[in-house]
Amino acid sequence: MANNMFLLGIVFLPLVGAVLTVLLSPIVRNNDMTDLIVNPLQRWVAFAANLAAWACSMVVLRQALDSGTQVYAMGGWTPPFGIVLVADSLSALFGVMATTVTMLATLYMAQCWDKCVNYPAFVTLALTMSAGLFGSFYTGDIFSFFVFMELMVLSSVTLVAISDDRLGLEAAFKYLFISGTGTLLLLLGIAAIYATFGTLNLAHVAEQLQALEGERPLLARSAAVMLVSAFLLKSAVFPFHFWQPDFHTTAPTPIHAVLSSVVVKVGIYAIIRLMTLWFTEEAAIIGQLVMILGVIGIFFGSFSALRTNNGKRLLAYSTIGQIGFILVGIGWWGMHKNELALAAAIIYAFNHAFVKSALLMVMGLVSSRNSLKSAVLRPHDNPTVPPPIIGIGTEIPPIIGWLWLLGGMALAGVPPMNGFISKLGIVQSGAAVGDWLVVFLAVSSGVLSLSYVFRTWQSVFQQKREKDNAPEDGDKPKFYVKSFGDSTLAPTLLISICVVLGLYAQPLVEAATRTVTLLQDPNVYINAVKLFGG
Amino acid sequence: MEDLAMAAAIGTLFGMGVFQMLRRDLVKAAMGFALLFNAVNLFILSTGAYRGASAPYTTNLADGKATSDPLVQALILTAIVVSFGSYALLLAMVNLVSRRFNRIDSDEVKELIN
Repeated sequence: MANNMFLLGIVFLPLVGAVLTVLLSPIVRNNDMTDLIVNPLQRWVAFAANLAAWACSMVVLRQALDSGTQVYAMGGWTPPFGIVLVADSLSALFGVMATTVTMLATLYMAQCWDKCVNYPAFVTLALTMSAGLFGSFYTGDIFSFFVFMELMVLSSVTLVAISDDRLGLEAAFKYLFISGTGTLLLLLGIAAIYATFGTLNLAHVAEQLQALEGERPLLARSAAVMLVSAFLLKSAVFPFHFWQPDFHTTAPTPIHAVLSSVVVKVGIYAIIRLMTLWFTEEAAIIGQLVMILGVIGIFFGSFSALRTNNGKRLLAYSTIGQIGFILVGIGWWGMHKNELALAAAIIYAFNHAFVKSALLMVMGLVSSRNSLKSAVLRPHDNPTVPPPIIGIGTEIPPIIGWLWLLGGMALAGVPPMNGFISKLGIVQSGAAVGDWLVVFLAVSSGVLSLSYVFRTWQSVFQQKREKDNAPEDGDKPKFYVKSFGDSTLAPTLLISICVVLGLYAQPLVEAATRTVTLLQDPNVYINAVKLFGG
Repeated sequence: MEDLAMAAAIGTLFGMGVFQMLRRDLVKAAMGFALLFNAVNLFILSTGAYRGASAPYTTNLADGKATSDPLVQALILTAIVVSFGSYALLLAMVNLVSRRFNRIDSDEVKELIN
């Protein structure tokens, strides 16, 4: 079998773009030309690189669904000796989700006027973040998974630290500590795997685990525990969720859109991979754990979103809840081996990415018209806090309000949006395994998400703006940061993807079902990589 | 003997790292982070480097001598680069935090609470 060049392109093209943007920045410095030419050029290079990566990922998805697992061996070193990029249909589906959202977030970034986007390093870091993100979905080697993940984490930490929001520094600092702990766990798990099996190739380890037939060496189970906790930490699942709302809320909007919708899915993807490929015997225990954590997460996320006082924070909390739904699907698969449940989880993850990033961009459009780009929701008397965003929606093009409404319907699972399809899948699989209590809890929290989205819609897009909103000169603190010209193109495209996936869900459902059928048998993945080695 | 010394070193570094990381002083906590990363790197080293006394040259392999595993050292090299990068970033951010808040006690760096 030949190397699949498209697979390399997905990871390589954003890195090429990153190098190009670095080279562009020293051409003109400390000059008006920087604002006029270099910064826009950098942003369009970023968009072009991510667009090319997106095209490659679509081709790879088509190939993976039609003709089976695609492999690229780095430097011509055949597996298990060299590092491989592998795209089976699970990787390809998650990869398409990641590239689509990142591409549209870069489009949003290209036309947004956040101050921090003008820093020379911003676009470069955004590109290295997307390279790390795509790489961690496609890699077939656990150690390079760690390297890609760290690339993503360090870039996103720096991006948040230079955010317009001055709280970004503290949030990024906090996240770097917590994520560093997660990285240590991940590295320990990898070392334990290497000590036991003497290899780091996913397929090669899986082959040896399978040959053991349920018997586990000393370190294998502890490796499983460490890896699962590291992935749960990276996905902000309930007991490890505390960093996520702070870190995501303070991020610049184009980065927040990627973080809250795709980056949290890396851990989800890794858990699915771990349960289906490596620890198939332990899938029931891991499944039970993630299902319980998922249910807690659904409730924690929804209630915290109800009581929070910040629009972006609301969406970050809602992500915790939505991740909970995905984990419940995965858990049902692990416990009952119900194919529908895992397919529903994959569909849920896929759909949620578009909804959440669209909603975040809309919230970013609204809040960048407020002073300090703050998204405070309710009126207050505190002079040190920026004014609320009540009524800003009535002064901007009405399409933004409709986008929020449609996205909110998708988030809550109202037909005809794609959120309905994903909630339907979860409920159906819950009915199939007979876990009615969890189904009831999940559906009732869907009602909660409907309430917080519509309440925000009413106050932001329906009420009149308070006139003393704008602080006067004098002793009041100055909040205004110049902000205008944000793009509505990217959220519009994302919402139209949501509508299309809601009305014409069949291709996605079929792809997810086929993916799960292939995932049931780890030999599909193992043989594809092994045959490539010859 | 080598095994025991290695295990003791890893354990000591882990203990010191966890203790330092839980301190309220942000600089000491950052040092704990570095110590922990070194402990993990030593752990990776211990998984393969002492399988044999001789270096993994082809002649040694042909003679059937027990050689040490070269891959772990390549792995640590990457892990050191990553951990060094995060440590540098962490220290830079401690610097910024200390300038903004004029203190490095983690209990007093709490603007985020809302």
